[in-house]
Amino acid sequence: MSQSLVVTVTFRWTDRKRIAVGALGVVYALAALAVARVPIGTSYAARSGAAGALVVVAGLCLIVGGLVVTSVEPTRRLGDLAVLAGLAWFGPVWEGWLAGPPVVRSLGMLVSVFTFALLANLILAYPTGGVRSRPERSFVNAVYAEALLVAIGLALFRDPFFDLACWANCTDNVFLVWSVPGLARAIVLGDRWFTVAVATALVVSVAWRLASGSGSAARALVPIVAPTVMLAGAIWGRAVALERTPVEDPSDPVFFATFVLGCVGVIVLALAVVWAAARSRLHHRAVARIVTDLREVPAPGSVEAALARAVGDPELRIAYWLPALGRFVDASGAPLAEPAESPGRSVTTLAREERRVAVVSHLATLPDLERELGSAFRLGLENERLQAEALAHLVELRASRARIVETGDAERRRLERDLHDGAQQRLLALSYDIRLAQTAAEEDGDTKAASLLREALDRSHEALGELRELAHGIYPAILAEAGLGPALETLADSAPIPVEVAARAAGAGRCSPAAEAAAYLAGVEGIRDAGGRGASFVTLSVTVADGWLVITVEDDGSERVSPHVALADRFGAAGGELILEPRRIRGEVPCA
Amino acid sequence: MRVVVADDSMLTREGIVRLLRDAGIEVVAEAEDADALLRHVGSARPDVAIVDIRMPPTHTDEGLVAVRAIRADHPEVGALLLSQYVEPSYAMRLLEEQPERVGYLLKDRVLDIAVVVDALRRIADGETVIDSTIVSRLLGRRRRADPVGRLTEREREVLGLIAEGMSNKAIAARLFVTERTVEAHVTQIFQKLELPESADQHRRVLAVLAFLRAT
Repeated sequence: MSQSLVVTVTFRWTDRKRIAVGALGVVYALAALAVARVPIGTSYAARSGAAGALVVVAGLCLIVGGLVVTSVEPTRRLGDLAVLAGLAWFGPVWEGWLAGPPVVRSLGMLVSVFTFALLANLILAYPTGGVRSRPERSFVNAVYAEALLVAIGLALFRDPFFDLACWANCTDNVFLVWSVPGLARAIVLGDRWFTVAVATALVVSVAWRLASGSGSAARALVPIVAPTVMLAGAIWGRAVALERTPVEDPSDPVFFATFVLGCVGVIVLALAVVWAAARSRLHHRAVARIVTDLREVPAPGSVEAALARAVGDPELRIAYWLPALGRFVDASGAPLAEPAESPGRSVTTLAREERRVAVVSHLATLPDLERELGSAFRLGLENERLQAEALAHLVELRASRARIVETGDAERRRLERDLHDGAQQRLLALSYDIRLAQTAAEEDGDTKAASLLREALDRSHEALGELRELAHGIYPAILAEAGLGPALETLADSAPIPVEVAARAAGAGRCSPAAEAAAYLAGVEGIRDAGGRGASFVTLSVTVADGWLVITVEDDGSERVSPHVALADRFGAAGGELILEPRRIRGEVPCA
Repeated sequence: MRVVVADDSMLTREGIVRLLRDAGIEVVAEAEDADALLRHVGSARPDVAIVDIRMPPTHTDEGLVAVRAIRADHPEVGALLLSQYVEPSYAMRLLEEQPERVGYLLKDRVLDIAVVVDALRRIADGETVIDSTIVSRLLGRRRRADPVGRLTEREREVLGLIAEGMSNKAIAARLFVTERTVEAHVTQIFQKLELPESADQHRRVLAVLAFLRAT
């Protein structure tokens, strides 16, 4: 994560340092309060005790809250920014210290310039602590650069004595090199409207991130909405008021209102930063504890569910990498696209012994998963990957079994066609020739030849009948052309025992060839088996409902002994199931 | 009697044509697919078109579709479907779509050319013809509660001839009895089978076939 131009703090916090800085911060804030109030200085904090308290509370919220946040790894950078913003926050108080040394007042003036830049950075870096997109990073850099230029310009050219709009500090600037009142005025005005533009951009940016982020990413941004709007409101209000009254006046109700709004905004912002850190901390704990959620033999997807629950990110997804198949799958073995980063969401690759096991797509604010996840969780993850691999292979196997059966059916259908259009047609034509020869022999009075030809004709007639039955047995053309109902009726026409086909079958819509073939074979097999068990009748019923084709074959014979393995395989290959009862077969298969 | 013969197999078609010509039927045109058949029917105006049920391009039900077109465009032209399938469903679908001037015969029935010639004449006279193999398969179907079993031998014979599409007059001629006797049998049969007796001879064929299939 690359940092912004100006603030690249790589300070190593320890608890001792935090306590020390915290104590110093409190002293610093109280000193600022004292400076503002005794004797009365020229700042908003000086206006009343309540105003002073508001300034101190807001500044301390940033400093103390920031220090707390520095202890939570993923949001540590937010804490750094908050502490710095809190220190700069008291700048105007030092500037307005009437009895203070000129150097302190001059420094106070310069430090104040950076407060807004730091707050803007904080808002854009929320909630992860990093500014992720390139345009946003450039934007933050530009804001810091502007603040730096303004500070330098004011230091070198602003002579407070000649500043017509001065109110807080009209006497001291120890850095002054060349008094150019016009330039100083231009810098102040330029800075004011630049700040207004930045504040507007911040509101737009937060709104855009809210609208474009996924559900849980957007939810993580909610705490920043109110402080952003309040700070922007304070900046707009002050700019508009200054247009009306060029000299700022804390006792003016409009100016004072913008001051209060800004303070409250800062307090809420500090709370939002602490909230983001607390959330992250909570997730961190939950991830470490996650193993207790995984039972001994977890169902597919329970690792993902446990992690999602632990970190409060319902959109969290785990994609397992299967090197043998060269693709990602979910826990059930179904293929997935490779997870990619999106606004507010990151991906983390989890490896085991340098082998990629899974890729997790999660909220960008989550702790560093690669480091946080315990070894027991990794074992669960590896286990689920193996399970997913087995399931993926199972899916492949099912598809290949279905293909084998479909190929077999297509081949049988082709054979039936070949018989019909080939052997049957030729035998038919041959019979016609024999018939013509027989007529010719009769006309010639050759009775011996005529009777021989008649015999030949009878035999070819028998052969035609047998060939027709053979072709029908290989594949009943009526099944493909007219459907299951007519095919089962034809089956019933020539069955050795009474077969009733339920009326629903005739009206049943068409299903896939594999489903219809399975159901038809259940009819064939059911009738044959019922006959073998001494049944006096068979009832076939076919229904198509909710995308399933269901055939039942019932009879009144003795109890079934055959397991009908081949038929069960048929239904299995078509993605269905065969349920055997003593006198009933129920075959269910997806219609499509 | 003038006919057009349509069959995509040249060997079969030639055999049929020669047998028909031997029997004194005038074959005015031959076709090897449905398009040619419709063209020939339009130009030659035969009494009956003899049509193979399975023709190019899909080899499924082109014949049935062609018969529908012929009957729609030329109501005076009859149609005889030839098939290798003992499939009552096809015969019933034909009758549902075209209740008169049509027939469904198995291709090996052509060997008994007299049956074919008789069928052609009956079709030209406006009757329907269903192959006796199909009818006997339906009559022989095993039934749990068998209403057909309540019929006498003679009544079963008459029922079969009705299913084959014969008129009372034709049945009387076949059985060497008077038409009045046949009418009495028909009344008995329809009562025993609890079928509404239809005055329309074409409708009663389909009614009987559907009855035989459904019970």
